[in-house]
Amino acid sequence: MSSIKEKFNQISPSEFFYRNRDLAGFSNPTRSLYTAVREFVENGLDACDQKGILPDIHLTIKAVDPEKPDPKPYILTVKDNGPGIESKHVPLAFGTVLYGSKFGLKQARGMFGLGATMAILYGQITTNKPVTVKSSTDAKTSDEFELILDIQKNKPVILKHKTKDVSKKGLSVSIFLEGDYSKAGAKIRDYVYQTSLITPYATITFDDPKGEKYHYPRIIKTMPRPPTIIRPHPYGIDVETIRRMIVESQFEIPTIDDAMIEKVRKDLGLSKKNLSFTAIMAKAKTRWKNLSRQVRVVIALMSFLKMDFEKLNKIRIEDIDVPNKKLFYWDFGDSQSKSVDMDPESQYYRQLTNTVQGETLTAFLTKRFQRVGPTTAVKFAQFAGFKPEKRIGSMTNQELVKLSDALQKFDDFMSPDPSCLAPLGEEPLEKGMRKFFEPDFLAVIQRNASAYSGFPFVVEMGIAYGGNINTRGIKVYRYANRIPLLYDEGSDVVLKVVNDIDWSRYKAKGDPPLVIVSHICSTRIPYKTVGKENVADRQEIEKELKLAIQFIARKLSVFMNKKGQAEAAKKRANLYAKYIPLIAQFCTELAGKTKEPNVQKILQEEKPIENE
Amino acid sequence: MSKKSDKAKALQKKATEKQKNILEMLKSHGAKIYEDLDNGQFPKFSIPSRSVSNIVYDKKLRQYILGNSTALRSSRNTSQLRSFTQLMWLAFFANRLTNEKKSSTLRDIYYSSQAFAIDFEDQAESDNIIVDLEAVTSRPREDFHIFPEERSSIFGDLNIEYTIPGYEGKSMNLANHPDGYAIGPSLTTAELVDTSAEIVIAIEKGGLFTRFVEEQVDKKFKSIIINTGGQAPRSTRTLLKRLHDEMKLPVIILTDGDVYGEHIAMVIKSGSANAAHLRELTVPDAKWVGVWATDIEKYKLPTIPMTESDIKRCYDLQKDPRYLDGIWKKELEVFLRLKRKAELEAFSKYGLTNITEKYLPQKLELAKSL
Repeated sequence: MSSIKEKFNQISPSEFFYRNRDLAGFSNPTRSLYTAVREFVENGLDACDQKGILPDIHLTIKAVDPEKPDPKPYILTVKDNGPGIESKHVPLAFGTVLYGSKFGLKQARGMFGLGATMAILYGQITTNKPVTVKSSTDAKTSDEFELILDIQKNKPVILKHKTKDVSKKGLSVSIFLEGDYSKAGAKIRDYVYQTSLITPYATITFDDPKGEKYHYPRIIKTMPRPPTIIRPHPYGIDVETIRRMIVESQFEIPTIDDAMIEKVRKDLGLSKKNLSFTAIMAKAKTRWKNLSRQVRVVIALMSFLKMDFEKLNKIRIEDIDVPNKKLFYWDFGDSQSKSVDMDPESQYYRQLTNTVQGETLTAFLTKRFQRVGPTTAVKFAQFAGFKPEKRIGSMTNQELVKLSDALQKFDDFMSPDPSCLAPLGEEPLEKGMRKFFEPDFLAVIQRNASAYSGFPFVVEMGIAYGGNINTRGIKVYRYANRIPLLYDEGSDVVLKVVNDIDWSRYKAKGDPPLVIVSHICSTRIPYKTVGKENVADRQEIEKELKLAIQFIARKLSVFMNKKGQAEAAKKRANLYAKYIPLIAQFCTELAGKTKEPNVQKILQEEKPIENE
Repeated sequence: MSKKSDKAKALQKKATEKQKNILEMLKSHGAKIYEDLDNGQFPKFSIPSRSVSNIVYDKKLRQYILGNSTALRSSRNTSQLRSFTQLMWLAFFANRLTNEKKSSTLRDIYYSSQAFAIDFEDQAESDNIIVDLEAVTSRPREDFHIFPEERSSIFGDLNIEYTIPGYEGKSMNLANHPDGYAIGPSLTTAELVDTSAEIVIAIEKGGLFTRFVEEQVDKKFKSIIINTGGQAPRSTRTLLKRLHDEMKLPVIILTDGDVYGEHIAMVIKSGSANAAHLRELTVPDAKWVGVWATDIEKYKLPTIPMTESDIKRCYDLQKDPRYLDGIWKKELEVFLRLKRKAELEAFSKYGLTNITEKYLPQKLELAKSL
């Protein structure tokens, strides 16, 4: 057993991803080129979003040798105007798998910056060329690195590093990679187009290998509110996560070094004096209320150790054994481990055990989770069968499982906080769609936040009809966290919902020139596959999508009705104009008259009102 | 001679009178439409409803007639606008025909419409508009000089005098031509002068009609023979009625021995639901003498099995109030029991002249007691 474990441990994260690169979308030259573009563009947009900078992304793909047939090596460069990365972080950020700053619970396009590293890794193994990173954080100097990744060691190797004077902030990453633009081109152009649609506050430029320039200038100058990092919601929390949170919730027993002793002296107002143990304790008692937690813990320890500052300087606390009420310490003088008994009746006993055993269940719930108040916490404790004041650190494994189960089953938690989400917003979506499609009719909706399994999500949707839309039938643009989803649309929940709608009920019969833009924002999008191209049909998400689409479809049907009425009126007027004069002609002869009756009166009356 | 020309004058006067009435009526309809338009209103008129629910059987008249419900046709209603215009054109065209004493056929009407940019989709649509005109005016289309294509003919000793323009007063004996005379506009409007015949035999099929002429049935049985050519056209029914009413001749009908034959006889006798808006088209005293279902057994006629649609037709007719009694009811039941049918030609089994020498005399005898 242990030998197997050792083997596993020997594989670095780089190696692991190298072996499983197809999972991350690097299965062949076509897909890989597309995935690499995505990863770098999304990183650039994310970086700008986080700092509230209106993004300016420049993507360039150039063939190393344009004469060669595909697949062949390309140089892919993505330049942004974001905050840049500090020089010292660059090698690690781009030369290590699983290094990144995107931890924490909030919505971002990518996770952990993993994809970009994967792209670099893929480029390196297909072309054996280094990645070039240029970064400026101050708009004055730029650090330029040439790096390769040591796959086995998961470490960057810096080949070159120089500094240059620049005038703009931002990051530029350039890699060599094996790609197939003749096959991936259409997808990449789609991607750039669709990304521009959902990011109307960004300017995106794409210089393709054939010399074509695709330029999508910024449509709006306001950025959506950036997402905030928030605490997790009780739903969707597993035992392992709870365990990690408990570690965070425990206060460490402070290391008693010179600095700490100096702090305690200062807090007690004893900087100059050397008091006896008893005097120190007395002083502490009078000042207790104003003491910090750390100082209180040191005083509590002293109370059991019965030591003054001088003695305290010569020991190190080893363990606080709560069940046996013993305090272990290492005595530097005697070079041996010693222990004292702790009196459970002592006022200081509680101070120590609380520190070791962490927060009470109710404090844990209210402080570590989002939207849990004291009342709910107490109600939950009763529901779960724990005392509210139960110390979270004292829970056994079984109790933790029980706690985790109860967290999923308790119905009275508020729904998750959507402030960690960054939907685009109705106005930007509308402006983007109007600019892109110049439709005859447009409606958008942003639904209120909802949640599935403890993960909040927001659905935004827009519908456009007619105008510059020249597709026959319904074209659906799917987005998740502002990323266009281009592959595998057949099995996507959005498509399912769109197809389930009886469009004729909304007066959109036949193959209407209709565009639907669907955007799902969530801290975790439930993708069906690792490729992250289609969203699974979670019941809650499906419901929100349905409500959103019904809302905008109703608006469409109002428009179509008006349009239909206008068309019907026009048709009617045309019929009258055709037939009434004939009737007039025939009845004139029939009635034996010579002059035809005046039919203009009727025809005028029935003329449709223009531009209804 | 002078007597004859007197009569011709009288006939002409009568025809002119009728023409004047029709033109007046058409004019009044046209004037109403004209007035509406001139007043800035969408013209409209009412028309007896020809829907199934408004077709009722009148026991006293012994025919189907239209009930009291009427439908409003308005030119404001765009779904009626086209047919409204078509009807106006037809009235306009019928007015010209009547005025100029020109005849037309159903097919001719359909083609003529194209010269006026009146878009009939097919002849069925124009035929239907012609029925509309009949319903609105309560006049048969023949009054407007519109006739069906001729397929029905007549033979026998009957003298007639034409009333149509150019032939007024000219007379003709209908036994002069062995192929028979087509029953067209001139014959339908001709005056029936005299006859030696004592009975009219209406027969369903042209083949048997020719045989009857060859066998001199007209002479042997003192009869006028009429080929109805299947379901008798209106002009033929009109002529049958006139032969019965004006010449006091009994009418007997010979059809194939199947349910359709039975119904051909019934339509001559009491009209069809399709023509419920018209009167004067029936010969209530006409008698169907064969071929009956019971004849199939009695004369041991060769038969063929009835088709599903034949059987369905039997059941349909059983719901018709006219088939609730007498031979009509009885024969239907026998057809249903036999589930077989026989053609008039079936008698050929016993020799080509069997039908005229054996069957017909028996039936003529029988008809007296019917």
